[in-house]
Amino acid sequence: MADMEVDSPQKQPQPQPAVAPAKTKQKRMVIKRWTAVALWSWDMETDVCAICRNNNMELCIDCQANQGSKNAEDCILAWGICNHAFHYHCISRWLKNRASCPLDNSEWAYQKVGQ
Amino acid sequence: MSSVTKRLLKELQDIRKDLTDELLSLGPVDDEDLLQWHAVLRGPQETPYQGGLFRLRIDIPEEYPIKPPTLTFATPVCHPNVHFETGEICLDILKSQWSPAWTLTSTCLAVHVLLANPEPSSPLNCDAANLLRCGDFVGYSSLVSMYTHIFAGQIQ
Repeated sequence: MADMEVDSPQKQPQPQPAVAPAKTKQKRMVIKRWTAVALWSWDMETDVCAICRNNNMELCIDCQANQGSKNAEDCILAWGICNHAFHYHCISRWLKNRASCPLDNSEWAYQKVGQ
Repeated sequence: MSSVTKRLLKELQDIRKDLTDELLSLGPVDDEDLLQWHAVLRGPQETPYQGGLFRLRIDIPEEYPIKPPTLTFATPVCHPNVHFETGEICLDILKSQWSPAWTLTSTCLAVHVLLANPEPSSPLNCDAANLLRCGDFVGYSSLVSMYTHIFAGQIQ
């Protein structure tokens, strides 16, 4: 800690660099290794399934809990004619209740099912 | 972990940023049971519910969000669409118009909107509804204000 006194106010009346440069040559810190880290993501919006609240790019909430099960392998997406997308498992559970889109309440009809 | 638990945990994570001046608190009653929640609503400004704090009980079925939660007022409320004794709420989105896209937060806010926008044509409290139906807004306001003061009044 004695090195720190170089910067202390008491020494300031003598601004000559006589002492300071000699001290700075003793590096306080040496970088031995550094690792660069970068993150990336697709430049596009992915929606959350309004029924289970998992992202549409992930498995549905049930399949996520049973990964590796047969069911989880075909956890696909489904689009209605209203263009809203949900996990196929989620929307089919809901349709047993009422045949409407959970988001706009329009009558539900499948537009496509797939990845 | 069941899917209802996972969905509720997701909602719970978002609640801190969802809480507003209208929805003062929302969360499970205790850590043991995620299917029993409660909430506190502030009476809407410029309505006879102003100045009151209203406690809601929220019972969540195992099938949530395919099936709607049951919301009941634990604080007595004088409102055309709320049963004065049981606290039952008559609101279409809690029954026939439920959608799994609703969350517990948005459902509580819908009840808050109902407080300010009574629908006297489908009453659970005929006395309150009749005052509105015959256009006696002064009578309605003073009746509601009185009950708000008695049951939901805040200690300043």
